[in-house]
Amino acid sequence: MNKLLWGALLALAAPAAFAETGHGANTEAIVMFLLFIAGTMGITWWAARKTQTTSDFYTAGGGISGFQNGLAIAGDYISAASFLGIAGMVYVSGYYGVIYAIGFLFGWPVVMFLVAERLRNLGRYNFADVTAFRLEQTPVRILAASASLLIIALYLIAQMVGAGKLIVLLFGIEYKFAVVIIGALMMIYVFFGGMTATTWVQIIKAVLMLAGGTLLSALVLYAFNFSPDAMLAEAVTVHPYAEELMSPGEAVTSNPLNALSLGLALAFGTAGLPHILMRFFTVSSAQEARKSVIWASSFIGYFYILTFIIGFGAIALLVRHPEFFHGGLDGSFNMLTDLIGGTNMAAVHLSNAVGGSLLLGFLAAVTFATIVAVVAGLALAGAASIAHDLYANVIARGRSTEKQEMRISKISILVLGVLSILLGIIFEDQNVAFMVGLAFAIAASANFPVLVLSISWRGCTTRGAVMGGFIGLLVATVWVVLSKTVWVDVFGNAEPIIPFPNPGIVSIPLAFIAIWFFSITDRTARAERERDAFDALTVRSQTGIGRSGAVAH
Amino acid sequence: MQRDVVAEVLKHPKYQELVKRRTRVSMSFFGLTLLIYAGFILTMAYLPEVFAQPLGATWTMSVGLFVGLLVACSAVILIALYTYFSNKVFDPLLAAIMRDVQ
Repeated sequence: MNKLLWGALLALAAPAAFAETGHGANTEAIVMFLLFIAGTMGITWWAARKTQTTSDFYTAGGGISGFQNGLAIAGDYISAASFLGIAGMVYVSGYYGVIYAIGFLFGWPVVMFLVAERLRNLGRYNFADVTAFRLEQTPVRILAASASLLIIALYLIAQMVGAGKLIVLLFGIEYKFAVVIIGALMMIYVFFGGMTATTWVQIIKAVLMLAGGTLLSALVLYAFNFSPDAMLAEAVTVHPYAEELMSPGEAVTSNPLNALSLGLALAFGTAGLPHILMRFFTVSSAQEARKSVIWASSFIGYFYILTFIIGFGAIALLVRHPEFFHGGLDGSFNMLTDLIGGTNMAAVHLSNAVGGSLLLGFLAAVTFATIVAVVAGLALAGAASIAHDLYANVIARGRSTEKQEMRISKISILVLGVLSILLGIIFEDQNVAFMVGLAFAIAASANFPVLVLSISWRGCTTRGAVMGGFIGLLVATVWVVLSKTVWVDVFGNAEPIIPFPNPGIVSIPLAFIAIWFFSITDRTARAERERDAFDALTVRSQTGIGRSGAVAH
Repeated sequence: MQRDVVAEVLKHPKYQELVKRRTRVSMSFFGLTLLIYAGFILTMAYLPEVFAQPLGATWTMSVGLFVGLLVACSAVILIALYTYFSNKVFDPLLAAIMRDVQ
């Protein structure tokens, strides 16, 4: 009980400190964000009473409906980076943003047709339960935890740094303070409310984001009498790239292999992201898992279409507002380089242009909520990797009690929270643009091949899975480090060692081939047992017999 | 006991049918997905001039932008169709198997 009290105190203290330093910033934004915090703290308090067992903590007891989960997935998947980032990309180069939007969206048919239902039938808390179903626990879980924690760390750093800077601009508070608020809120939600609180934070955020995006797009289209083509015509007229806005452009055509490689990582990476896969264990059955994907992909697809209206709308409309640009008051500015806060702020300025400070405040609050929701989902997946994979199944070898595992996962949340704050501060002035891309590449090259082959290929053995997974992980990481994104842009070397920055086209097939090769050459007795166990795995993955079902509340 | 249920399901004639048909359907959907996605990315990378053309004489919107919109919709439609299949065909088949073994 005193833990709850502590949480309530922190909840009160955080907004108070926030309001004090917030003067000079957008009042509407602060009021709306405080409302969001108050609402989600209430939910966390309610969720904390329902969070007793590890199943409650990791999966909300399996009691989330398909529709709710679809919304939560959309809330978890569309980060501030992908919403503001894609809108910004459209603002800068028009059509190029399409490759990201379509790539992120096509992750969903891949999830649906290859893993969603079987994942739900085979696993309990996270995807490592599935890959370790018939393979040997220790090596397979070490692989899953290594790849997952690396993905989560990269994602967390990218979110924290991007978010911190955004909040400095939106709310006028100090960077370090912004990072501490995000980290502290995330710790409160996840520590006390586990998956139940995390899910509802994500659902609320998704609803706010969809509503805000719809309103903003409607206002933009209203300015063009609801003719998207009139909006595009205006955009082409005012943008320095002119007609080029409507075509794939330099970035794609100068290196087609790189575009292809990026496309592969985006489409297959989703089915290997630990925090996204974890969401499938919050529903009660394979049918509900299917419903989750339908709703999630509909919301995500709809939102990306809005993002394009917002991006092109920003091109067409922002030039009419010199006050959004540096040195703009005398009438001369470069719309690409002089936008206040950088091009990722295009959507934010646009909301001010078409909806005034009220809509600006709403969008700023939604952005803040987005960051907190995504970070909470990442931290929970990280805690599951540490407590469920590394502690309960590797170190304690399945002999730990539920209470011990729960304690470790709560400690993990605190450690991850503090760590994400520290990393956010350390990486403040570093170039973190490559991190989400690398996270997707690792997910597609390590987690995805192991997951798919372990559930659909009889011949897959522990040796094959572990060798293939680590090869994918290594090749993807080393490739990115030696390419332009890190070798030149971060380390400051003159020339990259690797010709193009996206590893997917090499690392993904390599991982599949390695799993195949090291499996078929595996003639141990253990490999035989694992191949024999495939029938039992298939029965359960197809029928759900023996699955850990929903706990009645 | 668990082992017996597994053996029983494995022997069930409808189970083999379920696995075969479901694998075929999900692989077909996956293949279709890859075809659309790869077609889109490859056209974008190697035939950008196709995507650069405007939709028509009076249009600003390019073929590429319009196709992108269709491709995005196709992802959701494929998922919806697969769900329809599963609800209509696989769920009843599965229910029949479960009735027999439990």
